Amino acid sequence: MALTGRAALLAALGSLPVGIWDAGWTGILAVNGPLAVACACDFALAAPVRRLRLTRSGDTSARLGDSADVTLTVTNPSGRPLRAQLRDAWPPSSWQPGTEVAASRHRLTVPPGERRRVTTRLRPTRRGDRQADRVTIRSSGPLGLFTRQGTHRVPWTVRVLPPFTSRKHLPSKLARLRELDGRTSVLTRGEGTEFDSLREYVPGDDTRSIDWRATARQSAVAVRTWRPERDRHILLVLDTGRTSAGRVGDVPRLDASMDAALLLAALASRAGDRVDLLAYDRRVRALAQGRTAGDVLPALVGTMATLEPELVETDARGLAATALRTTPRRSLIVLFTALDAAPIEEGLLPVLPQLTQRHTVLLAAVADPHVSRMAEARGNTEAVYEAAAAAQAQAERHRTAAQLRRHGVTVVDATPDELAPALSDAYLELKAAGRL
Amino acid sequence: MTTEATLPTTSASPTGRQLWTRARGITLALVLLLAGAVAIAVVRSDARHGELDPRSADPYGSRAVAELLADRGVSTRVVTTLADARAATGRDTTLLVAVPDRLTERQQTELHSATAGSGGRTVLVAPGSASVERLVPGVTADPALSIDSTLSPDCDLPAARRAGTADTGGIRYTSTGLGADACYPSRRLATLLRVPETPQATTREATAGDTVVLGAPDIFYNNHLDEHGNASLALQLLGSRPHLVWYLPSLSDATAPEDERGFFDLLPSGWLWGTLQLFIAAALAALWRARRMGPLVPEKLPVAVRASETVEGRARLYRKAGARDRAAAALRSTTRTRLAPLVGVPVAQAHAPEVLLPALSAHLHGDRQPLHTLLFGPPPSDDAALIALADQLDALEREVRRP
Repeated sequence: MALTGRAALLAALGSLPVGIWDAGWTGILAVNGPLAVACACDFALAAPVRRLRLTRSGDTSARLGDSADVTLTVTNPSGRPLRAQLRDAWPPSSWQPGTEVAASRHRLTVPPGERRRVTTRLRPTRRGDRQADRVTIRSSGPLGLFTRQGTHRVPWTVRVLPPFTSRKHLPSKLARLRELDGRTSVLTRGEGTEFDSLREYVPGDDTRSIDWRATARQSAVAVRTWRPERDRHILLVLDTGRTSAGRVGDVPRLDASMDAALLLAALASRAGDRVDLLAYDRRVRALAQGRTAGDVLPALVGTMATLEPELVETDARGLAATALRTTPRRSLIVLFTALDAAPIEEGLLPVLPQLTQRHTVLLAAVADPHVSRMAEARGNTEAVYEAAAAAQAQAERHRTAAQLRRHGVTVVDATPDELAPALSDAYLELKAAGRL
Repeated sequence: MTTEATLPTTSASPTGRQLWTRARGITLALVLLLAGAVAIAVVRSDARHGELDPRSADPYGSRAVAELLADRGVSTRVVTTLADARAATGRDTTLLVAVPDRLTERQQTELHSATAGSGGRTVLVAPGSASVERLVPGVTADPALSIDSTLSPDCDLPAARRAGTADTGGIRYTSTGLGADACYPSRRLATLLRVPETPQATTREATAGDTVVLGAPDIFYNNHLDEHGNASLALQLLGSRPHLVWYLPSLSDATAPEDERGFFDLLPSGWLWGTLQLFIAAALAALWRARRMGPLVPEKLPVAVRASETVEGRARLYRKAGARDRAAAALRSTTRTRLAPLVGVPVAQAHAPEVLLPALSAHLHGDRQPLHTLLFGPPPSDDAALIALADQLDALEREVRRP
């Protein structure tokens, strides 16, 4: 039940006859009595909200930055026409700030016994699952003085996936991969370790790759070709601890890491490698394992969608133990974490030998372009002190990276925009060098 | 309805039955509470309804006195407004003011001026000290009440002498005027005082008016009338004139003077009703705006911490502490690390002056001394020197990078 502004306006206009007529309580009654009767009639003639039937259909997932359309079908089984205002409530982050009222409210008219559809367009601002809250319907009578209001619960979930903006780099990286594979005319001989086939010598081939025994058997000169290793294991480890919550630009470090991880996964699955994902802080947050090349990317995207940074210090010992348990075979472990001195030195360095003993370890860290800008600031006292602090931070970062490299870890330290291609390049280099 | 049968209901609003189930407990509790409150109020009530009202037969009413007076030919008229009371004063009239303290100061003054020259009798029942000074100038009330309620006359007033002991104990009065009869004293102060009118007002008349101040209303109550000499005293005090005007001051008696009309009296009364209707409209508008289209949707918010926050914090700390030495060391160290590979020195040896400086001066073909101060010198003395140092380091790096 709810009043409308029209009823209040009529009551306000009623003060004129009451004031001019000057009939005391009689006048008040003469104005408000009919108004109350009209409201009661309106209430009685409004379509009942409780008996409406609502169903949903539409998108169940959307990439961050895209929109998702969710359709609500309203069936009016009563004998009275439904003139309604409808609010399809979703969590606030389902819409761009400031547009939520316009996006969630709908007006609709449903004649008796018919059904109508309204479409709510979501434009989520964050990753994760968005669950529909309740649907509130305000059904007004023919006079528009009084309304019936009720709520319905029609569950629906829209999963907002990581945007994977770095997929624009995928074609160029795949071209690089094909070069390694020896499939293109530009023949870069891979340093891969697997023997592929013998073929006839073409001028320009490395003479060291001539297979003299095969040449002796045939009349022509034969060369050996290699191809890069296939069916290697790659474990992507996302550190979801407190350092992943820090925002670079307007995006958490974790999201930048995910973007790079997705590009690497797409590339590696094309290269014939098997990709697993582990998200860990003090316990396993997500684990995607044993996916075939075809569905690894959707599986990773779906797993990553609901990951959120936790405000806890990462347990590096547990992380290493879990990573070792997850990868029984020799594999490439890609660690997405921050390159802060204290967590690395106290947490990761002591357990690093366990990992590097059997596996190749690649560490990807998100650098902050704001710190680089601060380092170049000059002109006044504040700027120079900022530059000094930034220089200090960068020096510490380089020192930590150097320490890790001494342990045999490949370190990729890049800004969010550059991290994904840089990491893919590092992967391709490792592959070309046959270090997987 | 087929659609109703095929689709499950999704309604989340409570039905009437659910509302009743949810609310009946609290409704029952409220009803019980209200009933209990009313019951307790009725049982414990000691409110004196119609106190000193000559029409009331309650224990604290005064109907018995009025009946007895009527039997003796004294007519009793009840008035509730000051205007009526003033109009009724006269030589053959007794005016009884039941609760003088209920009158405002202005009303008391007006009443006094009305009764002063009338020649009738005015009986004031238990006026407080403020009231009695305005109603009977020259009489003051003692702040201490009498201990006993039943007192003996001890005076020459014929009525008191005939009545004997009576329940007059209450407020005690003293009079500074001459010729006042002070009766029923309690510790030397009278609880019944009869003050005759000033002589010049009564020269022409045989029977002079007077004012009787009574310390307690007990003698007029129905339930005390038959005790001691109460009835006798009451009848003699009130029955001296053929008419009795019983003034019960009421709070609704608005005897505002004509020249002091308020703002609302000047407005046409229709506008007051119009304003009331506007208030009703405002209440409706408030109800309209107060109803929400469903509740707010809660959501767990992510933490929003900038990754560069520690670096910014360190910059502020440096500045606050004036840590020029550390700032300069950091800037110099960074420049050295960047310069070393440019001039062919390993990064590991970038911080050794004996290795870096010769390589640098060979590259620049310049002198060594300023370079040593610039790259390895003492910390700058003030902030301006620090800014200058940063600029010089930049200039040096640009020079080295220039092909």
